[in-house]
Amino acid sequence: MTSTETLDTTFTRVLSAAAAARPFVLALAGVGLALALSGLLVLGSGKSPLVAYGSLASGALGSRDRIAVALNKATPYLLTATGVALCFRAQVINIGGEGQIAVGGMAATWVALALPAAPAGVLPIVAALVGALAGAAWAALAALVRLTRNVHEVLVTLLMNFIGVLLVSEMLHGELGEPGAGFPQSPLLARAAWLPRLVRGTDLHVGILVAVAAVVAAHLLLWRTPFGFRLRLRGASAHAAIYAGVSMKRSLLSVMLVAGGLAGLAGALDVLGVHYRLIEGFSSGFGFTAVSIALIGGLNPLGVLPAGLFFAFLETGALAMQRAVGVPSPLVLVIQGLTMVFVLAAVALPAPARRA
Amino acid sequence: MLTMRGITKAYGDVRANRGIDFDVPAGRIIGLLGENGSGKTTLMNILFGMVPADAGTIVFRERVLARHTPRGAIAAGISMIHQHFMLVLAMTVTENVMLAWNDDGTWLHHHAVAGRIKEASDAYGLQLDPSALVGELSLGAQQRVEIVKAVLQGAVLLILDEPTSSLSPPEVSVLLGILRRLRNDGCSVVFISHKLSEVLELCDDVIVLRDGAVAGSRPVAGATREDLAYMMVGRELPPPVERSARAPGRELLLVSDLGARDAAGAPRVRGVSFSVREGEVFAIAGVDGNGQGELADIIAGARAPDTGRVFVEGQDVTAASVAERLAAGLAYIPADRASTGLVGVMTIAENLAMRDVGAPPHRRGWWLDRVATRALAETRMAEFGVRARGPEAFAATLSGGNQQKVVLARELGRAPRVVLAVQPTRGLDPGATRFVIEKILALREAGAAVLYVSTELDEILAVADRIAVMYGGRVVGIVRREDADLTRLGLMMAGALEETSSAALAYGLSTSEPAPRPGHRDVH
Repeated sequence: MTSTETLDTTFTRVLSAAAAARPFVLALAGVGLALALSGLLVLGSGKSPLVAYGSLASGALGSRDRIAVALNKATPYLLTATGVALCFRAQVINIGGEGQIAVGGMAATWVALALPAAPAGVLPIVAALVGALAGAAWAALAALVRLTRNVHEVLVTLLMNFIGVLLVSEMLHGELGEPGAGFPQSPLLARAAWLPRLVRGTDLHVGILVAVAAVVAAHLLLWRTPFGFRLRLRGASAHAAIYAGVSMKRSLLSVMLVAGGLAGLAGALDVLGVHYRLIEGFSSGFGFTAVSIALIGGLNPLGVLPAGLFFAFLETGALAMQRAVGVPSPLVLVIQGLTMVFVLAAVALPAPARRA
Repeated sequence: MLTMRGITKAYGDVRANRGIDFDVPAGRIIGLLGENGSGKTTLMNILFGMVPADAGTIVFRERVLARHTPRGAIAAGISMIHQHFMLVLAMTVTENVMLAWNDDGTWLHHHAVAGRIKEASDAYGLQLDPSALVGELSLGAQQRVEIVKAVLQGAVLLILDEPTSSLSPPEVSVLLGILRRLRNDGCSVVFISHKLSEVLELCDDVIVLRDGAVAGSRPVAGATREDLAYMMVGRELPPPVERSARAPGRELLLVSDLGARDAAGAPRVRGVSFSVREGEVFAIAGVDGNGQGELADIIAGARAPDTGRVFVEGQDVTAASVAERLAAGLAYIPADRASTGLVGVMTIAENLAMRDVGAPPHRRGWWLDRVATRALAETRMAEFGVRARGPEAFAATLSGGNQQKVVLARELGRAPRVVLAVQPTRGLDPGATRFVIEKILALREAGAAVLYVSTELDEILAVADRIAVMYGGRVVGIVRREDADLTRLGLMMAGALEETSSAALAYGLSTSEPAPRPGHRDVH
């Protein structure tokens, strides 16, 4: 190989690295724009945006406790959004995260309450696995309706969210409810079922490690295995996938099982690590936030990581901002919405110039 | 009538048009020739106002056209008929014409418009019924709806982009007749085509583009195919590929009584039986959409048949998976390169691995072996002369010819025993077409059985040993190449003639041998 060729390949590598960094830079620019525009809204209400963002930041990052809360909040987001990203990559539009989380949390609670005598250390693992299985089963139900009755998965997964959430309420008013409590919630779980703390003296539980491991595993699955290749092929062109021998049905079912399992695990970890009991509406909004995070993350598991952390820290800082500056905390929802619009608009690049 | 001067257009680094001068006098048919990527489509899109030129002037009937839209071009008297028709299939001919109507008014004048369609149809021999549903018309008739739309819009310059690619030979001659009548009425026509014989037959003058510039122009009178081909590629094309005489060997592909229906329950393939032997090319001629694509999909395992069996080297593969068929030596070049044969948003290396990611060398244990995939891609790209930045380039960035080379490299690179090639030269220029045909004939030499589906009789005669014609999902006739008669084949393609062929012809035997029965050993 001559030196010019080496130079040429080096140059190509640098260029393609720059091209790979481009969406990330664009996404950051989108976040910046969203913050700037929301700042104008704060200004309009007569408050200083700088002070408001300052208290938002200190509310999210100001102490070990705050960071712990944010990371706990990020855990279900990361897990669910990773599954959603895999589904969307394969053109399986699963928006059933909400119901899958709810059912996963419920199953984990049931296991933890049914086996209070299980040896410590084993119980959380068993409960989390059963939660994951329940989430996967809930997603599989939706997939089966899709495959056998040909009802689009958007509709099935959306409607099954209501069923899942109402099923949890039903159980809390009956079987799983705490007798005498004025609120639909389960009894407190035995200590043996609680997830271990990651950092002593904070609320941070080990779930965030599980979530990050799931993100990395999903990245490897999507980009480094034949299974992931087939998912990407399915998503890029159904015709090509059929031509290449990918079973459209089997791939839909398997990616739904993976995503449902991750969402079920998210629900289980939230119950076992944060609330230590099942509470009505504990999963409220998680499913749709996860869809936003998956989209902002470019449907890439590794992109889901910063997007999910950003949303979690934003929400954690919101209340502090409201207390300190009097800016209503729903402003954070505005920031999230604007971020989604700007990032998606920035990353949706113009199609490559066609040849004549 | 039309004068374009110094038309220049760049897309990024690609200079699609470089100072093109293009003239169309009144009452002439101009052939616009050029290889893929030579700038024909860009030039016509600029004229029709679909994309703005970077530089240059357009004068049409003493008026300057600049920054115009397609609507402005139509108002000025220019109409363009695209390869894919812009028609609403669920509406009648009259309604489609009214959609394009440009005198605005409050009320729709259904009867008046229908009357004018009838008049124009009679004047130019379009044979259109104004009240027919467009979706029920043949592709040829749909094209004539586009023509009547253009005529009633007052077009005096008609641009047709590859208008004959989906027509049967009799439909082509009808179209050419209509265009001649339009010319005799003072209209001008720009006829974009790859088919030199049609250009020679129809056009008055021809302009050839090469690499975004005018490579030459000349009157058609006195020109030969070789002259035009030379102008297009800028070098002599070698003489047609020699086909060796070769006695076909044993049967490698056998299909018996295949039948399939589409999702709506309409039969697409009906009782098709034939076999293809070692070292033989069995061609299926027919107009697009007569079941050839579905037949190939069934044989390749991309679609399940309702009836019938498929055997490869005696093994029943009717229920086998795509992977099992690949392992049995079956390669498939599908008709639709853009969305089936290739995935534009994946890299060349990924496209080359697409059909067997689950097998070595692409897979090692649980993982994709990306190094091996890339190495194989580099080998294949060199072998098939794919011109690209590298194996990591996205397939969408390649020219049509190079995209097809990627498909060929994937399917033919693994030395298949049975090859299904459906329209493998569609949209390719003469150089790339020749490359494909050479590869197919080389496989025949190497003893593969080739099923070659095409709508082009010229091409079929160049490669085939036996020729079957499909019409309406059935094989309506099979002839040996040496007995082929273009007129009869053309009539069969149009559904006007049917020949019962002997079993000996269907199974490629000399008449003295008994026809085989598909009682093959089943392997499952």
